[in-house]
Amino acid sequence: MELLFPLILMGIGFFVGRYLEAKHYASIKDREKKTLHIPMMNFGAKQSLPYAHDAKLFVGSVVVANDYFKTISAGLRNLVGGRVVVYESLVDRGRREALLRMKEAAIEWGASQVINVRFETSSIGGKSRDQGLSAVEILAYGTAIR
Amino acid sequence: MKFVPKEITEEVNVTPVHPLVNLAYLLGTVALVGISIYVGLGLIAGQLVKRIGPETEERIGASLVSSLFDSPSIERVDADDRRLEYLQNLTTSLQGNLSQTEIVAVDYPPVKVSILDMPEENAMVTAGSYLIVTEGLLSNVESENELAFVLAHELGHLHNRDPLNALGRSLVLLTVSGLLGLGQGPASALVPNALNLAEQGHSRTQESAADEYAIALMMARYPHGGHSLDFFRRVGEKEPDLGIFSRVAEWQHTHPLTGDRIERLEDVAQANNWPRTGPPTPLPEHIGCQNFVPCQD
Repeated sequence: MELLFPLILMGIGFFVGRYLEAKHYASIKDREKKTLHIPMMNFGAKQSLPYAHDAKLFVGSVVVANDYFKTISAGLRNLVGGRVVVYESLVDRGRREALLRMKEAAIEWGASQVINVRFETSSIGGKSRDQGLSAVEILAYGTAIR
Repeated sequence: MKFVPKEITEEVNVTPVHPLVNLAYLLGTVALVGISIYVGLGLIAGQLVKRIGPETEERIGASLVSSLFDSPSIERVDADDRRLEYLQNLTTSLQGNLSQTEIVAVDYPPVKVSILDMPEENAMVTAGSYLIVTEGLLSNVESENELAFVLAHELGHLHNRDPLNALGRSLVLLTVSGLLGLGQGPASALVPNALNLAEQGHSRTQESAADEYAIALMMARYPHGGHSLDFFRRVGEKEPDLGIFSRVAEWQHTHPLTGDRIERLEDVAQANNWPRTGPPTPLPEHIGCQNFVPCQD
């Protein structure tokens, strides 16, 4: 049956995807706890900054993709509209991971705070290909001071 | 301002919905709406189709068969083939036999017979009363009883206005498929190919009703039902030919023939105390060949 192959793919996507996502979330929560002590601030572009000996730009980026099951669900959502719930966890994971990477790099350098933290998002694969990679690249950058 | 680190425990950015539940909800919505639109359109089309007048029906039928006959893979037998006249007379005679049954006659456009040069054994009738039989059928019938039963079955469909109903359903199906961009689109803008209609087939109830009409006609014409079903018995015994996957509807496809069908007819005959054996009425010679001239091959 032609229906069997997509169903198998969806099954793989569902089970493996759920497992990998759970693992990633566990890792994220663990590292967030570890790096909690360094504050990150969003201001700094036009405000006066706290005194620092050193300042350096740090960038954390990550590319995350959705599993096949979620892609199909999102495709159906495209018919009726509304919140694409399945993509919410993808974007959330990506954002937190990017932020953590930036923060961890800054902490390693010896930062006491990270200021002027910004986000950038771009989609990889995009809308041009129907079956293409639906991935998101999330970038977090900020100035670390020590 | 002193910074106090605080762990964020709530997932504010993720909606706690199980993905399978989400998918089920989406699929359910899409399926429900799709089905209700389809059914609604079907009902509307059914109502509209009932109100088609005979002239419109003839015109629809004419464009259906013209798209069929203009197709390069389909060859039609010449208009001066005397077999057409024979079939036309047989059909008219069968329609005359209706007065000898208890069935009340129904108005439909006059029947126009055509023969298609195809090896498959098939017969079909479209809106507008275009009755089409194939060379394959004519080569394989062995008595007039068999041929008359096949024709009477098609007349039964006409009597019950089945081709019009099939037209309504097909129009809805083809229009919706065309709108959603799935499957085959209509051959010409609004009128579906006659073969598509044949492939849709009629429902089981419609087929049974046509069968019962046919057997009643057989009883009126020859005072027995013998040999009418011989053709079906022979076809049922043959292996289904899986080699032909052309667009032409196979006999087994349009008329899903099972032993049940023959059994049901015999039950009907028995219930009415109709004799089931009798001498067969012979066909004219060389009916399987063009113009009754002995076949070259």
